[in-house]
Parts: sequence; C-alpha cells; structure tokens
Amino acid sequence: MFKILIVEDDDALRETLEIGLRSNGFDVCQAATGTDAIPVFEKHKPDLVLLDLMLPGKNGIEICHELRQTSGVPIIMLTARTDDNDMIRGLEAGADDYVTKPYKIEVLVSRIKARLRPIKQVQHTIIKLGPIEIDTLSHEVLRNGKRVSLTPLEFKLLLTLASHPNEVFSREMLLEQVWEYTYKADTRLVNVHVQRLRSKIEEDQEDPKLVLTVRGWGYKAGPE
Amino acid sequence: MFIGRIYKAALGRFRSSLQLRALAYTVALSGSALVLLGGVLSFSIGNGLFSTRTEQAELESHRATFAVSRVFSGVTGTNQQQLSKAIAEVVPELESIGVSQTRQVAFLYSGSKNSKKYSSPKSTNFDLSLITTEFRARVLATEDIESQTVQISRGGESIPAILIGQRFEVPKGHPYELYLVYDMYNEQQTLGFVQRTLVLGGLVTLMIIGFFSFLVTSWLVRPVRDAAEVSEFIAAGDLDRRLPVRGSDVIAVLATSFNHMADSLQEKIKAMRQLSTMQQRFVSDVSHELRTPLTTMKLTADYLYSEKENFDDLSKRSVEIMHSQMDRFDQLLADLLEISRYDAAGVKPQYEVHDLNGIVGSALESIQQFADSKGVYLEVEIPSGAVQCEVDVVRIERILNNLLTNAIEHSEGKPVKIRVAQNETAVAVSVTDQGIGMNDAELAQAFNRFWRADPSRKRTTGGTGLGLAISIEDAQLHSGVLEVTAAPNLGACFRLTLPKRQDVAIEDSPLKLALETES
Repeated sequence: MFKILIVEDDDALRETLEIGLRSNGFDVCQAATGTDAIPVFEKHKPDLVLLDLMLPGKNGIEICHELRQTSGVPIIMLTARTDDNDMIRGLEAGADDYVTKPYKIEVLVSRIKARLRPIKQVQHTIIKLGPIEIDTLSHEVLRNGKRVSLTPLEFKLLLTLASHPNEVFSREMLLEQVWEYTYKADTRLVNVHVQRLRSKIEEDQEDPKLVLTVRGWGYKAGPE
Repeated sequence: MFIGRIYKAALGRFRSSLQLRALAYTVALSGSALVLLGGVLSFSIGNGLFSTRTEQAELESHRATFAVSRVFSGVTGTNQQQLSKAIAEVVPELESIGVSQTRQVAFLYSGSKNSKKYSSPKSTNFDLSLITTEFRARVLATEDIESQTVQISRGGESIPAILIGQRFEVPKGHPYELYLVYDMYNEQQTLGFVQRTLVLGGLVTLMIIGFFSFLVTSWLVRPVRDAAEVSEFIAAGDLDRRLPVRGSDVIAVLATSFNHMADSLQEKIKAMRQLSTMQQRFVSDVSHELRTPLTTMKLTADYLYSEKENFDDLSKRSVEIMHSQMDRFDQLLADLLEISRYDAAGVKPQYEVHDLNGIVGSALESIQQFADSKGVYLEVEIPSGAVQCEVDVVRIERILNNLLTNAIEHSEGKPVKIRVAQNETAVAVSVTDQGIGMNDAELAQAFNRFWRADPSRKRTTGGTGLGLAISIEDAQLHSGVLEVTAAPNLGACFRLTLPKRQDVAIEDSPLKLALETES
C-alpha cells in the first residue's frame, strides 16, 4: 500500500483528503504546518507528497527545496493560487506536478497514480547521449562516468527523449508520455522540468547540447 | 498618375498643416492685393503715357499745319508747276520736322480722284487703309484737328499709334487732307518696362511677405503644436507631461489651463486605476479564498455522490443536486478567476505550432455527446492539409468548446456547421447554427459578461455566462478576432480568426462571416 503525506493547513480539507485517499486505497500521514512537514516525512517515509503551497511556518516552496536535497520522492503541489509565479517557483523547486483547487478526488488520484506507476520495463540497455549514459534497468544515469542524481520524473523525461534521438516531441506528447496526462494540461510543466534536467546533465545550461529546444514545436534529444 | 499622387500628397499636407494653410492664405491674399495694385498702376501709367503722347502729337500737328502753310505761302494758284512742286514738298518737309523721328505723313487730294494735276503724296510706309471712311468724314466735316488711335505694324510687330487728320486748302481752293501718324513705340517700350518692373517687384514683395508670415506663423503655431504633442503623449499614457508656460499672453493662458486639465485628468485616472485595481484584487482574492472550502465541499460531495446508492430516495436526489450544483459553482469560480486574471493582465500564453484541424477535431470529440443528446448534427468542412498556426492550444480549445456549446444549445435541433480555412496570414474557424439567432440589440451584448441571449429560456448546460467574455479575451490575446453575426430565427455565425504566427498580422479572414442560407 502506498503511503501519502498530506501537507495542508486547512483541517477540514486535510481530513476530507484523507477520507478520499483512504477510500481509494492509500495509506495517509499528515502535516498541518510547514515546520512539521520535514519531520513527518522523515518519520513515515511516504511514497508521495501532496504539498499545499500556502502554509504557516514554512511555505511549500521551501519544503520542496528541502525535500529535494535528500529525496527524489514525487511531489504534487496543491495550489489555491493559480498565481503563475508561485506555481512556477514550486515546479522549479522540484515539484513534479500540480493540481489546482478545487479538484475532484478522481483527478487527484489519477495524478497520484501516474506519479507512483513504475516506469515501463524495457530491455536492459545502455543508451548513450553524448557524455551521458542511461541504464534503462537500474535507472542510473552517468555523466562522464560520474553518477547524476535524477528524480524518477526527470529520469522518465530523459529516457523518453533519449530513446528516440533527434525525434521532436511536442510538449503535449511529453505531457502525455511522461506525466501521463490524457487531457490538455499546462505545458509549462514540461518547460520547467526540461530546465531542471538540463541543469543536471548539460555542461552549460544556457547552451544545451543534449536536450534541444525546437522553436514552436517542442524538444528533442540532441545529436550523438 | 505620378503627378496625381504628388497632388494628393500635397493636398494631404496642406490639410494637415495649420501653418502651411496660414502661409498659403497670406500669400494668396497678398498676391491678389499686389495684382490689383499692379493692374491699377499699370493702367494709369499707360493712360498717362498715352494722353501725354496724344497732346504732344496734336501740338506737333498744329506746327505741321503751320509748316505746310509756309510751303504754300509763295505759291499762287495760277502757276500749276509751282503748285505741283509745292505739293510734292509737303511730305519730305513734314517727315523731317518735329522732335519725333517717326512721323508718317500723307497729303491727300480730296477732290475727284482722277485729277492728274493734283497728286496725293505720302510717306512710303504710310498704310492708307488706316484712314477709315468714317474718320475721313469726320476730318472733312470740321476745320479742327481730328485724332484716333490705330494699330500699325512695324517690323512685323503691331504697335499702337495716333492718327491725326486735318482739312487743308491749297491755293485756288483745292481741298486737301493732311494725315499724320505718330507711333507710340517708345511709350509701348516704357509701359512694358514698367509692367515688367511691377511684376518682378510684386514677386519679390510676395516672397518677402511669405518669408515673414512663415516666421510669424511658426512663432504662433509652435505653442499649439507643442500642446498637440503633449496631449498625444498624455493620451498615450504618459500622464506626467506638461506644457511649458512662458510670459502671460493668451498662449501662456492656454498652456496654464491645459496643464490644469492634465492635472485633474491625471488625478481622476489615478483614482480610477486604484479603484479598478482594488476591485480586481478583491474579485481575485474572493475567488482564491473560496477555493479551499470549495475543494473540501466538492471532495465531500463527490464522496457522497459515489455512495449515493446506499441512501434513501430523497437523500439520493439531494446528493445528486448538490453534486451538480457544486460543479456549476466550481466552473463559475474558475471562469471568474480567469476573467480577473485577464483584468489584471496576468495572462501568459504558451504558444506552440499546432494543426487547427486537430484542435477542432478534439473539441468536436469532447462535445459530440452533448450534441447527440440534443439531436444536433455537426457538419464539418475542413481543408485536407494541415492548418498550422502558433497558438496556446488550451485557450483555443476553450474558445471552440464555448462556441460549439452555444451553437448546439441555440440550434433548436438543426445542424451546426463547422468550417476551417487558412490563407497566407491567417487561419479561421467558423461555427454557424440555424437556430433562434439574435437581434441587433442582443448581438451588441453577445460578448458581455453574465449576459444571456434569452433570459426566459431554460438553461440546459448551466453555462456561467462568462464563456464568450473569456473567449474574446482569449482571441485578443492571440492578436486574433472573434466576431459574430446573427439574425432572429435564422441563426448565428461565430468566426474566430487567428494569425498564423504571432509575428504575423492578419490581413483578412479566410472564412466568411455569414449565416447559412436556406438553399
């Protein structure tokens, strides 16, 4: 049974979420303030974190940063503010996805499941992309022989692009294949995560050689 | 064609420049005054010259008469030879006499023409046709001198001259007529010179007037031009601009009151802006604050809804109603938030190249069920190739969804036609229904917030009333246009035109904005 950490300061909403998630077969642990979030996370080791952005004590973006120091745990932001800046900052801080209030429990559950679903097993190969080596089985990524730490989502993004080098993926295609969205979603998710991925694997993030932008179309994995 | 264009450009410049117009009028009016003055001067100078010459000519004619009398003084009428000699002497005598070098003389016998005794000598260049029978009759009728202006030709040039005639009797009572022609070549030359001088002087004066009036109008127009420039800046949003105030004349008063007006305008705009920002923030805050409790309520309602089979009938129905109304509330809040984001100019679109056919296709797919439930046939007419355009696909699909929902709702079961087309600069989708349509008053309000076409009609889809208001904002965000035409009971046609790329301007829409005709 997957365990989910709910970080949400509104008691009624937290409780309702718990009911909803439990009735969908998840185990739940909770934190009501920003300061509680990290200790609860360390104590319960949840499989996924639902994170409200507006929290007393420590805000969601800071928590995101701290979690990402040590863990690649999937993080889904719960935002009341559809304020773009907050949402983008959350994604930049390492959140994988976001859901805006008010949401349906089905939507939330499907987002959670998408993030918890293991990457489809493929034949064990080593994909090479410039100085990068991707082990499709161990999910290890080496850059010039040194290990690069990617979150599961970042790994999936890299794997999707690198499996078909020089093939252009539109942002929609990536949302569908990496995030498993079946409907139109915010393509900025892709932009932000491509940036995060680049910051980890590119030599110069400003002049990417591996994950290239195709203006007006999307992205592709660069030439060998 | 080229001249026509220059003429048009000049006309445009003339209409647009106050200074040029003032200058033109000043020069035109001064020019007319100068022409009038020149005309009068030239006329009176000409007249003066003419009358002086005439007087002089008459005086000389008296002298000539005297000279002719002298020629005949020693001649008695009986000596025919002597008489003939004297007659022959008249012309050379008079030609050489007087100050004028250019006198022509004719001494004509008035008696019967065939007299051989009495010759009619004349200067060689004297043109006898100048003496009309009428003039001759006048000369014969009086003792005195008769004069008349005539035109003579000299060196191929026609110049004015004075013809003077007088009766004369040679001894033995033979009637003669003496004619003298004084040309006015010199006077003509003088008049020409005077006229040329007048024209030249006039032109120079006109140029000087033009130059000075240019200086004066520049000086007068500059503050007006400054004021126009500053008001343009203010109109463009630079509210801090003011006019410089110099001195205390009427221009300074204009500048002061202009600045005054700008001050109060600036204050009003500031206050309005503040109010508007506050209102927008309020709407946005309310929407945000409502979201957390709404989420809780919605989750609870969803949970209850999923459990509804366990309830008794009344509770079950209540849960269903709550559930559906919760969705409506949700949509309303989402739309309100979207509008408030547009109002706060906080919308950042995500442009990507898409096939409009594809977007239309997926919009149709999502609406198909609703269309089927209403028994409305969706007729699609799309080009075979890809219709590529750079758009924020979520927003475009939202617009299409709105248009399709509206069309199906108001089509009264008749088919709805969807068309897609493209040209060099633009792509377009039109959605045309043949339903209840709208009258002109309704048409004018179609894009207003919370406005519904017919309030008496039952709401079936529970739209928020913000759909078209958001759609038009979405279209404008893309530098596109969303237009509508409609007629009562004939239906409505909505047309969305978008630029192919965001750096391209729409030239015209590839689709017509027209209702379906019955044929």
